[in-house]
Amino acid sequence: MGLILNLTNNLGEQVVRLTMSKLRMNVKATPIFGAALGAILISACAVGVSHAEDLPEGFAKGELSPAPPAEMIEAGKRVYFTKCVWCHGVDGAGDGPGADRLWPRPRNFNQGTFKIRHTASGELPLFNYNEKNPDSGKNDLLDTVTHGLPGSAMPPWEGILTEEQRIQVLSFVTTQLVKDRKFTDKESESQTILQLGTIKPVEATEESIKKGAQLVVDKKCIECHGVEGRGDGNAFNLKDDWGFSIQPADWHKCWNFRGSRQDPYNVRNIFRTFSTGVNGTPMPSFADSTSVEDRWSIANFVNSLCERDAEGKPLSIDPLTDKPKINFVVPSAPIEGEISNDPENEMWKKQGRRYVAMGGQITHKPRNFVNRIDDIWVRSLYNDKDVVYLIQWDDRTKSVAEGKLPWAPTQVNVENFGVKEQAPKTGEEGSIAAAQNNYAVYNDGIGFQFPIKWQEIPAPFKPRYLWGDAKFNADILKWESDGSLRSFRGTGWDQDFEERDDFEEKVKLLKAEWKNGQWTVMISRPLKGDKDDYDEYTRFDIGKYIPMVFFAWDGHNGDAGRKMAVSAFYYTILQPPIPQEVYIYPAVIAVGVVLLEGWMLTRRANKKKGKVL
Amino acid sequence: MKALMSVVALIGVLGLLMLIGMIFGVIPSNTVRLVEGYMPMQVLSELAIFVAGFAGLSYLANSMGIAFPRFWQGVLFWVFIQTYLKFRIYPPIPFSVRAMYGTVSFVAVFMWVSANEEDWKKFRQPILNVLDANTGFHKALRTMYLILLPLLIGGFSFMTMKPSVDEPIELRTVHPAPPASTKVHGKTYTLQTSQNPYRVNLEGKYDQDYSNKLIVEQGMGRLMAPNANPWDEKAEGYLKYVREGGEIFFQNCHFCHGDNLNGRGLHAFAFNPIPANFTDPGTIAQLQETFIFWRVAKGGIGLPNEGFPWASVMPPWEQHLTTDEIWKVILFEYWHTGYYPRTWD
Repeated sequence: MGLILNLTNNLGEQVVRLTMSKLRMNVKATPIFGAALGAILISACAVGVSHAEDLPEGFAKGELSPAPPAEMIEAGKRVYFTKCVWCHGVDGAGDGPGADRLWPRPRNFNQGTFKIRHTASGELPLFNYNEKNPDSGKNDLLDTVTHGLPGSAMPPWEGILTEEQRIQVLSFVTTQLVKDRKFTDKESESQTILQLGTIKPVEATEESIKKGAQLVVDKKCIECHGVEGRGDGNAFNLKDDWGFSIQPADWHKCWNFRGSRQDPYNVRNIFRTFSTGVNGTPMPSFADSTSVEDRWSIANFVNSLCERDAEGKPLSIDPLTDKPKINFVVPSAPIEGEISNDPENEMWKKQGRRYVAMGGQITHKPRNFVNRIDDIWVRSLYNDKDVVYLIQWDDRTKSVAEGKLPWAPTQVNVENFGVKEQAPKTGEEGSIAAAQNNYAVYNDGIGFQFPIKWQEIPAPFKPRYLWGDAKFNADILKWESDGSLRSFRGTGWDQDFEERDDFEEKVKLLKAEWKNGQWTVMISRPLKGDKDDYDEYTRFDIGKYIPMVFFAWDGHNGDAGRKMAVSAFYYTILQPPIPQEVYIYPAVIAVGVVLLEGWMLTRRANKKKGKVL
Repeated sequence: MKALMSVVALIGVLGLLMLIGMIFGVIPSNTVRLVEGYMPMQVLSELAIFVAGFAGLSYLANSMGIAFPRFWQGVLFWVFIQTYLKFRIYPPIPFSVRAMYGTVSFVAVFMWVSANEEDWKKFRQPILNVLDANTGFHKALRTMYLILLPLLIGGFSFMTMKPSVDEPIELRTVHPAPPASTKVHGKTYTLQTSQNPYRVNLEGKYDQDYSNKLIVEQGMGRLMAPNANPWDEKAEGYLKYVREGGEIFFQNCHFCHGDNLNGRGLHAFAFNPIPANFTDPGTIAQLQETFIFWRVAKGGIGLPNEGFPWASVMPPWEQHLTTDEIWKVILFEYWHTGYYPRTWD
């Protein structure tokens, strides 16, 4: 184990050195496609721009910060061993007890490789114990600890640790746990700092965004990030400096950008990441090869891709979770006649979509610690016969199992077939991050459940979120990427599904398409069955809240059976047309108010005249 | 005095402009962020600043001879309280609670404007003026009210009657009554008499006073007590068990309950009910260790109906952990939050 650790450390160091030497030689126009331990360092085709002191545009030389005093380091040790050691480990090697079930893994501090910085590619981040303002742009590490790294397990520590405590722990980490480099060593370290505070942003005009759209093609961004920026490019097997699998960012979910600093729609964060690169990953710095103006155009374009509401405004972000705010109701709008199977059709565009948050199924074995589908977007329409759900979600890979799956579609206990949860402690070589792309590939899938006979279940009772229970059964629809759409009855989390043959003919798959990292699946099901007896299926009544739970499987994540993503309880409601009373009663009330006014005025007038009523 | 009051008034005006700006999205709503640990104090001091600002404004207006009618002072202050509660506080307060605050602040405003006969007269004078309509201005005002009031009330009732797709409100009992005993891995534990076998002193005896001395300190950060580092190689007994419990916590529990045990884990955003926040004085701090043992072992599915067993994703940990591991995790949770478990008496 120790040997392997050493080995990976050394290799990681070499990669760092490589990056460093590249910087020192001021190599400008050499495209390097070096593969060291699977890491691809791309210094994109540079246009020969020369600048004062040979610095990339927008950067300036900075001074190394002074070393923090010893008592600060000692105080920081106390913070570290209370809060950080659990993931980052005793020696800061990113191998604490929590590490092996995390993906992305916790940072290994030893090499001094930090992702989010204002400094040039390969350089150490800014850390100055005297700079106490987290958002000054002069203290990268304080920013990271303060705001956390969204999309990873690193939480924002603001409000938990005081600013002083955060600086103390960083003093400890930068001096004691960063072992291969020294923040104060003038011989080997330099600071080339992006002058983000003084660079004037280019406004996100249509022209700038259009230019950015062309530039991400020219600069080969789409090779990794995908044609639509959903992180589905051909570089799926990317590795970081330590050989762990990592994935390119999905530009449509800016709230998961590690460098979003709890301010996801702020274009400056994208500009910074694009200018400085992400150390330790294949994401290079484009500062050498791209003018500041072009960088703003790209940042504007990437920012424009992030999901927005119907009016094009940023989604409101829940400050408690740093994810879009959740509305637990999925409304279904009435439509006359046929419902279109084209998501671009006007009737679908008019119907607002709902963000449905998905978490890993962590209740029963096999638990899904690494959940790769963290949200889906749902829309619904209904007519006199059917209700249709249009579900869209980002999935970097289209996964279809090769050959026939060894279990029957109704089987839910698939642990015996190799669908297992991650062991708690496996060592780095067996960790999720190491094994990430070596899972057997199963089918992608989406499913949802309603209670059967919800009309007879007294509120707030519901069949359990995980496929119902013995008392209250669930009506489950499940689509898989092999093209099947099946209808089941669920009687418990560990009970195999029961098939419902007659109903399967009536549910229809209107569309199932994977394109540029996004699944679009449209499922139609009848509002009710043939008979009025609804023992088997859910009967939809207009204007009623019907509980609904969503499930999603990512085949390339080895998701099958209970290893999946799951939502909380949502409600679907068939929106009724507005009834007449709604117009009548308010009019009556208004007339009542007029009468009341008349009575009051008369009374006052009479009182003034001295009359008593 | 005047200078002081002008400064105070200026702060009040700036605060108001900022609040309005944030509500209408002109200023980013996180300009002055409410931070979790400081929130109650932040809210109180903000309100204090506003009240001082209003007092300053009213003083200035008085001294400049453009006194603001007492009636409108009362009405606007009440509206301000409502606006503040609705738009500033996060997570949002439910309407029912806001209505309660609304009533209380209404009574308070009423008491303020009717504190003495003179004040009360001042307060109702504008109402009577409009009712009597002795001047042309008041006549116009009265006509306006006569038309506007029915329209507003009618419109309001139309909006409330229109079928809406708001989230239905369901109230869930967070700490339901525990059973007398619980059976885990074939052994029955009586909640009243069971003890955490790892809360022991160096002699191996159950000793809560001993463990209480070694838990993290209260106050910002909740840092470990000096010389009580569970990661110390020489740590024995209680502290060693705390570390083992922490290892289990960070391999199993932090995904929902979070790295700081505050219920903000990686998957927490997707779930409803949200995972428990152990740093909140309303959770483990007011519960017995055996209650936690029962909750952890049986999970969401083992809740009585008032706890919504169908919605909770809390695993029944007896499926994943041994009894010893469960006790150690509980030990760690109390250590890390710096709370003493409650005892049965």
